[in-house]
Amino acid sequence: MTKRKRSIFLIILLGLAVSPLLTIRVAAQSDHAKAFGMKLKCMCKGCDMTAGGCSHPGGAFSGPCETAKGMLKEVDQHIAKGESDEQIMQAFVQEYGSVVYVEPPKHGFGLVAWIMPFFYIILGLALVVFFIKKWRKQAINAPATAHAQAAINPTGEFQRARAQADRETEE
Amino acid sequence: MDVFGSFSLLLAFVCALYAFIGGIAAIYTRHPLLIKSTRQAGIVTCVLIFCGTISLEYLLYTDNFSMAYVVAHSNRNLSSFYKFAALWAGQEGSLLFWSCLLSVYVISVLIAYRNKNGELMPYVGVVLAGVQIFFLTLNNFVESPFKALGTVNASGALEMVTRSDGNGLNPLLQYPEMVIHPPNLYSGYTGFTIPFAFALAALLARYPGEKWIHLTRKWTMIAWCFQSIGIMLGAHWAYAVLGWGGYWGWDPVENASLLPWLTGTAFLHSVMMQEKRGMMKVWNVWLVFCTFLLCILGTFLTRSGVVSSVHAFANSQIGPWFVGFMGVILLVCFTAYFKNRDYLKSENQLDSMVSRESSFLFNNLLFLVACIAVLSGTLFPVFSEWFSGSRISVGAPFFNKVMIPIGLAILFLTGVGPLLAWRKTSVESMKRNFGWPLVAGAVGGAVFFALGYREAASQVCLFLCVFVTATIFMEFYRGAKVISARTGMSMMMSAHELAMRNTRRYGGYVVHFGMVLIFIGLAGAAFNKDVQKTMNLGDSMQLGPYTLVLQSGDTKVERNYTAERMIVEVLKNNKQIMMLYPEKRKFSGNEQQAGTMVSIYSTLRDDLYVVYSGQDPDTGFPVIHAYLNPLVKWIWLGGVWVVMGTLLALMPNRKATLVLAAVPETSPATAALQQTLNPSVSLREGHD
Repeated sequence: MTKRKRSIFLIILLGLAVSPLLTIRVAAQSDHAKAFGMKLKCMCKGCDMTAGGCSHPGGAFSGPCETAKGMLKEVDQHIAKGESDEQIMQAFVQEYGSVVYVEPPKHGFGLVAWIMPFFYIILGLALVVFFIKKWRKQAINAPATAHAQAAINPTGEFQRARAQADRETEE
Repeated sequence: MDVFGSFSLLLAFVCALYAFIGGIAAIYTRHPLLIKSTRQAGIVTCVLIFCGTISLEYLLYTDNFSMAYVVAHSNRNLSSFYKFAALWAGQEGSLLFWSCLLSVYVISVLIAYRNKNGELMPYVGVVLAGVQIFFLTLNNFVESPFKALGTVNASGALEMVTRSDGNGLNPLLQYPEMVIHPPNLYSGYTGFTIPFAFALAALLARYPGEKWIHLTRKWTMIAWCFQSIGIMLGAHWAYAVLGWGGYWGWDPVENASLLPWLTGTAFLHSVMMQEKRGMMKVWNVWLVFCTFLLCILGTFLTRSGVVSSVHAFANSQIGPWFVGFMGVILLVCFTAYFKNRDYLKSENQLDSMVSRESSFLFNNLLFLVACIAVLSGTLFPVFSEWFSGSRISVGAPFFNKVMIPIGLAILFLTGVGPLLAWRKTSVESMKRNFGWPLVAGAVGGAVFFALGYREAASQVCLFLCVFVTATIFMEFYRGAKVISARTGMSMMMSAHELAMRNTRRYGGYVVHFGMVLIFIGLAGAAFNKDVQKTMNLGDSMQLGPYTLVLQSGDTKVERNYTAERMIVEVLKNNKQIMMLYPEKRKFSGNEQQAGTMVSIYSTLRDDLYVVYSGQDPDTGFPVIHAYLNPLVKWIWLGGVWVVMGTLLALMPNRKATLVLAAVPETSPATAALQQTLNPSVSLREGHD
């Protein structure tokens, strides 16, 4: 074996040894792209799904549609350039607008969407605690039900209406 | 027939107007003849709407392709089954279907109460006629289903045309569940009109708050039951037809159906506060108002195109009509409330923070927060566009993150609430009631952990599911034990007797158990797996414990579609357990869309969900997408239990009878008593 042939043989061997690593790298990129694609809305305007999870119901092919595939390919290209997830997301927002988010971003106006449910819970809890305290106070101040009833309607108008309703209705 | 249908709807509109205006006059004059004639006008309105609906069905069945609606949503090859369903496949038809189902409720109420509640019914009739007028306006003047197909000829004149065939029904709707899902959902939406009408009528008639509750409880439960069935069927349809492996995608249309269900559920709980303690009358009235408004808002959201949805019928110009109608409803409700709020005064008193009453308050808080969170998430894209100029999408990940904690809190209260006593719960009672369920929950949680369900939210959910089941079981056990001791019946028979004596309470527990099963199914979603592979004949793929082998493929030609079918062998531990046949269908007259028929091997542990995605565009080989979805079957089982529980709660209570149990040794006193009592005579026993 000449020196040249030996070199070619070595290169081929090296290539074969490295090729699985290359394959793993490509696969890892695709997995990353698919995972990242779950954060992107498929912009085909036909399915309302994520780019990573697009099965395009009603389409001739129930898999990622061409738009979703294109978006995932684009993610792969960004990953290949070594961009971070945040940079990739920014690139997509620049391209499609904020409609590309699957969930609102946790900054800017998007933050409002995240805060709102907690705000409702805190407000609701405060109201419930307020009413429980108020009604407990009423219970302490008005131990007898009859007394409470009288306090509600000292004029008897309420009782008159109740009697009338009882008279006029049946289930 | 189109003229007959069109004329029926127009006449129905006139009758509804008379029922509305005449009804108002009847309220003021109290003239018996006027009251009677407006009630009859209400009945005639309903009959005329039925005529209009039947006319459209007739046009669909007879393939009348001179009608625009028939051309758009049917074709000659469509089976009779789906021709019937084409009624609600499009905007115009589904609005007519709304009116039709509303009429079923209205005519039932008007006939059922024709000799009852004489003073209240004119108010109810006016409210119902008002709602009917709105929908009949849409049916007649905005989205008429009886438009003839026309074209503009060379001279610019409109010319009637008849097509030889129609475009066909949307392939996604050609599935048996789509024939029963929309009627159920719409029955839920329209059904909430009845409690709304009674609540508003009672307020206008200045009846104290508790009266309308008794009158409408059953109607509310019927509407809630239909809404629940509709939601479950919709979820199952999405699972079995759309082929994306899931059942709930937080699509605006799905959310719209959930909103009134959430407030309706809150109402069904808080109503007990009013019945037992005379509390929360204002709250209950507004809950019913909101539930009805959410039904209208949901229809607005899904039909106006204001939010994007995969549901194709969503875009139209009827949005402003719905906004106007909601505005009128709000105005009427606010006016009635501020004018007559004195009649809703409650005896609000709470003895303890730890009581059934407070648990209902927290329950209502959670349901309301859930409702507002879903609503604000659904509307957020619109708000973001208004306020920031750019539309921000809100998809499933957001809703899952927000709703999972709320759902778990509701599940927790499902277990805790029923065990708390009214007024005050002592520490001893809590220990007695919660001890065993907590132990059961911990053991159950450990078992699920050992089975591999190891994800924080799912783990908490499964723990709570076992806890709640144990509390329900204990409630049945304690009650049945008492009856068994008194009557000598077996525990099973005693449990049955117990449920029949207080159908509402124990029906409620059955519904809770159904919800537990649904939550078990939801907990499984965290462990879903899937794999998609391009396969040649004989190729295999592995998913969890299953091996899938693509055996062959064939083509089926049916009347209305051609199906490309894959035959997939399923092996477990090298043993064949099932053959699956996923399909891809192409429908005649609608080549743009394809239908997916998923093939599912379903067990209590998991669903093997196999989709034939179609041919790989590059290689031409079949692509199989398989999902392994744990615990999904529990969701559908839970749905069945929810419906059974609601039906049980709707049944009248059986009167309790006390039968003396046989005693081994007859004491002199008992012997004397037995001699005194005729064996055929039983003692009545009060039971709550």
